[in-house]
Amino acid sequence: MISFRILDLIIALLYLSGAVSFLAGLIYSRKRVQDVSVCLTLTGFVLHTADLGLKYALGLGEVLTQSQFYISLLAWTFLLIFLLLWWRLKLKFLSLIAAPLALLIFTWSLAISPATLPIPGLLQGLWFGLHIGSLFISIALLAMAFGAGLAYLHLDRKIKSKSRMGNVTRDLPSLSTFDRVNHWAVLVGFPLFTIGTLAGFIWAAFTWKTIFSWDPKEIFTVAIWFIFAWLFHKRATGGWKGKKPAKLAILIFVLSLASFVGINFFTETHHSLSPDGTQDIPFRPQS
Amino acid sequence: MEHKIYLFGLNHKTAEVEIREKFALTGFNPISQKLVEKEGPVLEALVLSTCNRVEILCVGLSEQHLVREKVMDTWAGFCQADPDLLSSHIYTSTDRDAVRHLFSVAASLDSMVLGEPQILGQLKDAYRKAVEEHSTGVIINRMLHKSFSSAKRTRTETAVSSSAVSISYAAVELAKKIFGELSLHRAMLIGAGEMAELAALHLLNNGLKEILVANRTLERARELAHRFKGQPLCLEDLFKYLPQADIVISSTGSSSAIIRARDLSEVLKKRKHRPMFFIDIAVPRDIDPDVNQLDNVYLYDIDDLQEVVEENLAGRKEEARKAEKIVDQEVDKFEKWLSSLDLSPTIVDLLNKGEAIARKEVKKSLRNLPQEVDPKTIQILEHLAVSLVGKLYHEPIVFLKRRAQEEGSAEKFIDLARKIFNLDEEQIPENAHTEKKRK
Repeated sequence: MISFRILDLIIALLYLSGAVSFLAGLIYSRKRVQDVSVCLTLTGFVLHTADLGLKYALGLGEVLTQSQFYISLLAWTFLLIFLLLWWRLKLKFLSLIAAPLALLIFTWSLAISPATLPIPGLLQGLWFGLHIGSLFISIALLAMAFGAGLAYLHLDRKIKSKSRMGNVTRDLPSLSTFDRVNHWAVLVGFPLFTIGTLAGFIWAAFTWKTIFSWDPKEIFTVAIWFIFAWLFHKRATGGWKGKKPAKLAILIFVLSLASFVGINFFTETHHSLSPDGTQDIPFRPQS
Repeated sequence: MEHKIYLFGLNHKTAEVEIREKFALTGFNPISQKLVEKEGPVLEALVLSTCNRVEILCVGLSEQHLVREKVMDTWAGFCQADPDLLSSHIYTSTDRDAVRHLFSVAASLDSMVLGEPQILGQLKDAYRKAVEEHSTGVIINRMLHKSFSSAKRTRTETAVSSSAVSISYAAVELAKKIFGELSLHRAMLIGAGEMAELAALHLLNNGLKEILVANRTLERARELAHRFKGQPLCLEDLFKYLPQADIVISSTGSSSAIIRARDLSEVLKKRKHRPMFFIDIAVPRDIDPDVNQLDNVYLYDIDDLQEVVEENLAGRKEEARKAEKIVDQEVDKFEKWLSSLDLSPTIVDLLNKGEAIARKEVKKSLRNLPQEVDPKTIQILEHLAVSLVGKLYHEPIVFLKRRAQEEGSAEKFIDLARKIFNLDEEQIPENAHTEKKRK
C-alpha cells in the first residue's frame, strides 16, 4: 500500500502546483503559464482516475465502505466537471476554483483514517451509487457555478460602476460565458440533485425501512432542494439571467458545502464520514 | 569599426506640424537623390516619412560631420528648404542609440498614441520601398528585421497595445466583455454622427451579426443602412425593434432622453432578460442614466468612454516600461551581431552582393508565379534566398576571419576574395582570355 501513498502524494503535488501556477498565471496575465497549469491539473486528474480505479479494482467492495474513497471521488468529480466545461466552453478560468477545491478535498481524504460506512446490500448498491454519483456531479456543477458566479458579480460590478479594470479583470472571459456556466449548472445540476436526493431516500427505505428520518442532513438537503427548485424554475421559465441566478447559485453551493462539511462531521447523523463519529452506533430509524 | 549607424529625424515631439510638413520626405529615393553613393559618405539609407515623424536611418563612414552634412544637404535640397532650419529641429543618434531608437519606433513606444499599431506597418512599407530602390544593405536589412521581431515580442509579452485608446474601440471592447462573441448579436444605431458610425463599423468588423439603423426619416435610415448592409427603420418604430437589439448606439440631436428606464422593462421582458449594452454618444444625452441601474443593462455615455480611454492610456504607459526592457534586450542582441560581424568592408560587400543576388532572383521567380501570390509565400521565398546566400558565404567569411586572426594579415586572401566574387564590379572584357591565349 506504500505505492498508493506515493501515488496519492504525487496527485496532491500536481493539484497543488496546478492551483498555485494558475493563480500566478492569472495575476501576471501569462497565458502560457495558465495553459501549463491546466496541463498539470489534467495530469493529476489522469493519475487520480487511475488511483481510484486501482483502489476499486484491488479492494473491490471494501473501498466502497470507506469515507476516504468517497471524499477522493468528490475531488475527482470537481475536476471532471471543470474539464468538461473547459472543453465545451473553453473556460480555463474556472481552474482557479476547481484546482484548489480538488486539492483541498483530496488532501482531506488523505488526512482522515478509513472510516466504515454501513455496507450497502447488492440491490441497494444501485440506489446508493445513484445517490452518490448524481449528488457529487450536481455539487461539482454548483462549485463551478459558484466560481463563475463570483466572477460574474465582480465583472458586472466593474462594468456597471465603470471603474478601472486591472489586468486580471481584463483577461476574464465575458459575462455571457459566466452566465452560460450558471445556465448549465442549474439546468443539469438540479435534475441530478433531485435524482440524487430521491435515490438517497429510496436507499434509506431499503436499508433502514424508512424514508424520512428527520436527520439534520435530510432536513438541510430538502431546504436546499427548495431553493434550487426555485432557481431552476426561474432560470428555465422566468428568463432569469445574470446577477440573481449567480447569487443564488453561490448561496446554494455554500449551503451544500456547509451541509457536507458541517453536518457530516460535526453532528450526529447517519451521513457521518468522521472516523470517530457515529458510524459505530447502529442507526435506529424512528418508527 | 569603419562604418557607423546614424539616425537623423524629426517627430511630433521636436517639431511642429508645419516643420514636419515642410520636411516630409514622401517619394524620396536615396539612390536617385544621390544620398547613397558607392564611395560614401552614406552607404545605406532608409527613409521613414509619416505624418508624425520624418526619419533617415543610414549607415555611413565614421566621420560624422561628413555624413551629417550630406544628409542635411540632400534632405533640405529635396524639400527646397533652408538646411539650417532643418538642422535646428533635428535629432541625431548614432550606433546603439540609433538602433534603440529604431526599435522603440517599431514597437510604437515613441508614438504619439503609445502602442498604436500603424507605425509598424508604415515602417514595413518604408523598408519594402527601400529594398526595391536598393538603398539598403546588410546592416540596415538586419536591423529592420530585428526591429520587426522585437516589436512583435513587445506586443505579445506586454499589454502595451492591448487596450482600446479610442472611444469607438473602447465601446467594442466593452461589448465583447459583456457578450463574448459578437457574431450572435445585433446592434442598433440610432441617429448618425461620425463617432457613432465608427463604433458601428468597428462592431461589424468584429463580427457583429447585423445592424439596425433607426433615423427620424426612413429615407436617411435607408441611406445609412445601405452603407452598413443593415436594416433601416423609422425612429417611431424604435420600441418595436428595440427587443431585437443587444447593443444600442445612440447619437441623435434630441434635446430630451428618448429611452427611459421605465420604457425598458417591457423590452427586457420580451428579450427574456438577455443583457443590453447602451452606448450614448449624444450630447445632450439620449438615454436616461437610470437605465444603468437595471439588471443586465449597461449604459456608457461619452464621458464614461472617455474615462475608459484615459485609463487605458495610463495602463499603456505602465506597460511601456516593460516593453522598453524587451527593446533593450533586443538591442543588446543586435549589437552582439554587429560586433561579431567584423566590419571589414569585404565581408559587408560580400554579404551585400549576396543579398542583392538573392533578391533579384526572388523577383524573377515571383514573376513566374501566378499573379495573386499571398504575402506569406513571398516572405518564405525571400527568406529562403537570403538565408541560402548567408549559408553559402558563411564558410568563406569564417576563412577570412581565421586567416586574419592567425596570420595577422589576410590581405592577400581578402584581395583574392574580392576578385573571386568580383566585389569591385570590374568590367571584364569579353575576350580577356582569348587575348592571353594568343600571346
